[in-house]
Amino acid sequence: MGIQFKTDETFRDDFSYRNSDAAVLRFPFPFGEDKYMYSVNIEPHVKAGTSPAFEHAFDVDEHYVAECRERAIVLDHDPKRCQVLAHMMPAQWDTLELLMESLSADYPEHFSLTRDGTAWHWINRPLGLDQRFVFGDASTLPCEPFEYITRQAQGDFTLQDQRDDNLYVDGGMVTTQADWSLEFDIGMSFHEWHGPVPLAHEIGVFDRALQYLLRLQYGHPVRRLNWTMTINPRLDTSPENYPDWGPDRTTVTPENIAGKLHLRVELQTLFRLPRSNAILFGIRCYLISLQDIERVEKWRKRLHRVLASLPPELVEYKGLTRFHGMAVSRLAALDDGAPLSLGIQPDQARLE
Amino acid sequence: MILDGKLSARVAEIERLSPTLKRFRFVPEKGGAFPTSPPGAHVLVTLRGPDRVWQNAYSLVTPPDQRDHYAIVVRRVPDSRGGSHFLHDRLEIGDAVELSAPASLFPIASLARKHILIAGGIGLTPFLSYRPVLASRGAAYELHQFCAPDEVETFRGLLGSDAAGIHVHGVGRGERPDLAALLADQPLGTHVYTCGPQGLMDAVEETARGLGWTPHAIHRESFGGDKGGEPFTVTLARSGRSIAVGASQTLLEALEGEGIEAPCLCRGGACGVCLLPLVEGIPDHRDHVLSDAEKAEGRLIATCVSRARSETLVLDF
Amino acid sequence: MSDQSIKSRPVYQSLAMDLSGLRHLLVSDSPAYRFEAPPDREVEVWFVAGPDQEGRIPPSETVHERGFRSPRHLIDRLDHRLAQERMGLRLYVSGTEDFLWDVFNTAQRAGMTKQEIFQCHSGTRARRVACVHCRTFNHGVTTTIVRCDGCGANLFVRDHFSRRLSAFMGVKIDAEVAGEVPPAEQAYS
Repeated sequence: MGIQFKTDETFRDDFSYRNSDAAVLRFPFPFGEDKYMYSVNIEPHVKAGTSPAFEHAFDVDEHYVAECRERAIVLDHDPKRCQVLAHMMPAQWDTLELLMESLSADYPEHFSLTRDGTAWHWINRPLGLDQRFVFGDASTLPCEPFEYITRQAQGDFTLQDQRDDNLYVDGGMVTTQADWSLEFDIGMSFHEWHGPVPLAHEIGVFDRALQYLLRLQYGHPVRRLNWTMTINPRLDTSPENYPDWGPDRTTVTPENIAGKLHLRVELQTLFRLPRSNAILFGIRCYLISLQDIERVEKWRKRLHRVLASLPPELVEYKGLTRFHGMAVSRLAALDDGAPLSLGIQPDQARLE
Repeated sequence: MILDGKLSARVAEIERLSPTLKRFRFVPEKGGAFPTSPPGAHVLVTLRGPDRVWQNAYSLVTPPDQRDHYAIVVRRVPDSRGGSHFLHDRLEIGDAVELSAPASLFPIASLARKHILIAGGIGLTPFLSYRPVLASRGAAYELHQFCAPDEVETFRGLLGSDAAGIHVHGVGRGERPDLAALLADQPLGTHVYTCGPQGLMDAVEETARGLGWTPHAIHRESFGGDKGGEPFTVTLARSGRSIAVGASQTLLEALEGEGIEAPCLCRGGACGVCLLPLVEGIPDHRDHVLSDAEKAEGRLIATCVSRARSETLVLDF
Repeated sequence: MSDQSIKSRPVYQSLAMDLSGLRHLLVSDSPAYRFEAPPDREVEVWFVAGPDQEGRIPPSETVHERGFRSPRHLIDRLDHRLAQERMGLRLYVSGTEDFLWDVFNTAQRAGMTKQEIFQCHSGTRARRVACVHCRTFNHGVTTTIVRCDGCGANLFVRDHFSRRLSAFMGVKIDAEVAGEVPPAEQAYS
């Protein structure tokens, strides 16, 4: 049995996005401990772990069709959300191959890939696509290979070129981002790109992460979770459109916060690519409302503790200032202070 | 592609190229396809002899899109401790072998406007997988192969043609390749790659630097350097075992020889997978992974290449 | 906060000759360049005349000097020159931040790496600011907040610098509550 896609939901205007109970329970909750601080929290991306979201190379869930439609809307308004510098064409084909092979192997009921030499045949059933093309010949696809395949995947992707003992963000598909701009950042080195992040530079996080990633091996991808919070289930919180979504932050009240405030988690995966030696960085975004988090006892208590102890620099950087206090006081009433198990798993099989 | 464990393969073809060179073709044990291999990649081949096991790194000579088989070219070394005699003398068609996932430590520079490939002898192998890739990208490149005069025809045969930009140079005893002539007057944005004997790679680097090339434009294959040195003893703190490391084997090989599964990947001091914590002793660092500061601290050692300056090393392992 | 603490902005140095190079070219957006070179080494100097020249090409004092009418004029000629250059060249750049990165990007397109290019910041500290919302470049910005020439938004000049665009990021400061615009401060002159 395949995934039941919720094809009609939206991430703008009426915000009809909702998680099913099953989607709540498989949510990759990012806090394994009661306090949060930056660290090089990278682990091998093997098909196992404490969240069902880790069980596939690229996770596909009930929001797949709706997220692909949302991506198309963003690209229609702003085609520069997908850009790849000219020297990255080998990495574009690497990405297409990796995604097509992974999706068709992990979800054979939804995707199929057949190959005869360079003659490839790709079928994407949820989106109703049937494409024959010549691998290596971009003119046989409706658009460049990186854009073609990342229009059919959930989450953002960037391409890192490795040269001069550094990584450069030389391409990307960025429509569901937490407030960073591909148009502004494209071409930047690892430290430049992470420049605005507070506190982490000083404790050497980026130096060590870079050294680790420069040695990332083909066939052995790695992953980490990152997080922030968003008002309304809005995927496109880009700096480009900040004038449009910024006012949302002033609409939060104690009465509506549980429905409006969403925890936004990024499952970040990094894959070494073969032909190009580039790294594909997947930034898969998951949204869950505060009221759904509250249905899991461990998660509501842990979120309270994490938010209450969050350093002020991070409250500011993550854009939580206007509603942080409101969220903490609401959650405080639901936290008895009892010790919680380590790790991110929900510790319950059904929602309250 | 998430790869789990080793690739099971079978020997499909053995071709004698010269009295000391053979090409081995491996196919996937269960049919299907191998992973797409990076240009310039190598695999670790696990060879199980009657009394010991070797894990040797060999460059793949097949291009990335050749997924129905992988091939390597191996020279039989007279004083072989690396298993080349096993490959040449014992391995037969149909035998099972284990391969690691192909690893890329010698990639093609993405922004180079021209590529000069300089190989010595069997060091040609990584460039055999570069060539079709550079050609399909329409890249400007030259390939210079240096070898003994009696091997010129063999390497011409391996290169398959006398296409423009491909040069095989016979170098007699006592002669030195004229590298300055190759590297002078190259356009801005040229990168040079070299693979072969240490002396040749050093000479390429030195010549290029002398002509004003910067380190970022000079690339050398990093596995296969000199691994020998004074013998020493390694003690494993967790089990208390002591193991002798001979003059002609690496620390990693000594551990493996005792049946100990130590982590490793590139076996050339480049990937960092084999780093183990060092508790006591003075290391002789030969890797490219640790920074100068980390080497001075002496708290980690790359077992695949590094040795000891003291009689004993104690590892937290 | 000192703007040199911006992670995405390089720390510029004064120029010194890189003796590993074989040929040396200094490009400057002003005639008042300074460069210390050992007496036995030749440095070719390309410079932009001051506005007082009114479009005339300034006279060269030696055969190693060459004047240009404007930064654009110099960079166009440099593009052509680098297409014919050989390995071993070192490029030294002196000027405003816009000029440094316009030259760098031209040299990188010609295949040069950062190890072959040296930059020294001189002249105005004013910033080029790219509006992240409408992509208009605002030139010569000296204040912490600037009204965008393109879309009219009041932009906060964020401490985030793109070498490719040679510009700082400008972000609407009152996006959440319209009209909440603090007074602009003179900061980069």
